[in-house]
Amino acid sequence: MQWWCAAQGLPWTWTWRAYPGVWLFVAAIALAWWRWSRRRGTTPAGTAYFLAGLLLLWVALDWPIGALGAGYLASVHMVQFLLIAFYAPPLLLLGLRASVGGEGTTAPVSRLRHRLIHPLLTLVLFVVATIATHLPVVTDNLMSNQAGSFAIDTAWVVAGLLFWWPVIMPGGPAGFVPIVRMGYLVASMVLMTAPNAMITFSDLPLYATFELAPPIPGVSVLQDQRLAGILMRFGSAVVIWTAISILFLRWNRQETRLMEEEMREQRKPDGARAG
Amino acid sequence: MRETGAIPERESARGFEWNGSTPYAAAPRAPRAPAATAGMRLVAGALGLALAACGPAADLPEGRPEGGIRGTVLDPPLEKPDFVLTDTDGRPFDFRTGTAGFLTLLFFGYTNCPDVCPVHMGNLGTVIAKYPYETRSRIRVVFVTTDPERDTAERLKLWLGQFGGDIIGLRGDPAEVDRIQAELGLPPALRPDSVAPGTDYPVGHSARVLAFTPDDKGRVAYAFGTRQEDWIHDLPLLLRQRGF
Repeated sequence: MQWWCAAQGLPWTWTWRAYPGVWLFVAAIALAWWRWSRRRGTTPAGTAYFLAGLLLLWVALDWPIGALGAGYLASVHMVQFLLIAFYAPPLLLLGLRASVGGEGTTAPVSRLRHRLIHPLLTLVLFVVATIATHLPVVTDNLMSNQAGSFAIDTAWVVAGLLFWWPVIMPGGPAGFVPIVRMGYLVASMVLMTAPNAMITFSDLPLYATFELAPPIPGVSVLQDQRLAGILMRFGSAVVIWTAISILFLRWNRQETRLMEEEMREQRKPDGARAG
Repeated sequence: MRETGAIPERESARGFEWNGSTPYAAAPRAPRAPAATAGMRLVAGALGLALAACGPAADLPEGRPEGGIRGTVLDPPLEKPDFVLTDTDGRPFDFRTGTAGFLTLLFFGYTNCPDVCPVHMGNLGTVIAKYPYETRSRIRVVFVTTDPERDTAERLKLWLGQFGGDIIGLRGDPAEVDRIQAELGLPPALRPDSVAPGTDYPVGHSARVLAFTPDDKGRVAYAFGTRQEDWIHDLPLLLRQRGF
């Protein structure tokens, strides 16, 4: 029995397969959340966000997407990447945020966390992890065994959480205002252009894992690879621009409120103005 | 890697030639580009986007290939076998005269093969289709079925047609096909003794593509695991009879 999805070189079948390692992984996260939320308290919305993120994570790692992405189709492998690194982490963090409370603390643990999760560091780590895990030599060598496949998936989970942390969690560094957060997200898309272009525009199959896999009828290996590149670009753009839109709307609302307060203050008679 | 004499009975680069009960010992996988070039390829891919998107090369890839031939060089080379089988149009095809002077890539497989055969034919068909007509017309890919019972002429033609590259499909008596394979030092096809009607069954077969250069000598063997980039690298060398 396989405990994690990896390339096996066997013809694909739609017969369900068990991957207990995936179930344990997801259960461990669920258990950690349950203990955390019992200690810190949470909201129904927070729980819903977290469980939605956990569900996406499970779908991405387990059969059939996990199996197809690990050893058959580059496009499904990309769907895995998008779900694990782009779609699940924001939901998980939104759930966590509901338990964290207000903006920032002065506790020593929080200061250390803020240093480790500095936006510049998380952006670089995320881009490096993305490029590294999509290099053909890395993918082909790791995807052929369960431990390597687990390493790639875990790298995506960690990188995704780190990347989204400064955007979603409160208490970021001074100066990481909404407009800078939007720039952070745009920068990630720009920096991912190189690996994206490599996958989309290559004239030859890049990954031996998918090129030599038992083929799935009707899909050529190059078409599948190009689809993977397109999914990488547009799949990530959807969530990035959604986040940018939300940040912009909140920032706009906040700025409008501040302006209105200022105008109300100015309309008051001289003696009634604060300060 | 050079081999002497007949091709030893080591076939599948993945340890198994078929999904049956008798595995063949593993043969070395066709070499990939060195790991150090992966990073260079990343940079080249990012910087050469416009070039990569311009479509297939106008002619054979020129320039110095990195390293020598990537397949397994056969030393001494094989003599081109002399046999006549039936093509997918029902006409006799004389292999020796029909491929004389061409770069001939010979493979034994079957259409119900789940992995080795479609991957080999798919990669070859894709690569050869990229070349201009003047180059394609100098290459012959010949696929001999090891499962003539299920691989009718019509089925064989249809199956090979999906790969492009004008692959020649041949059928013949199983004993004759086994004789040809034995002459080439390849193991005979392994077919089950009896099969219930309508049952799907695997057929063991060699996973190697044999390359006969235009001088009609079998000079290189390609195991399963040979990638499109390997064919792109080697086919020009084979046509020019260089690298070995």
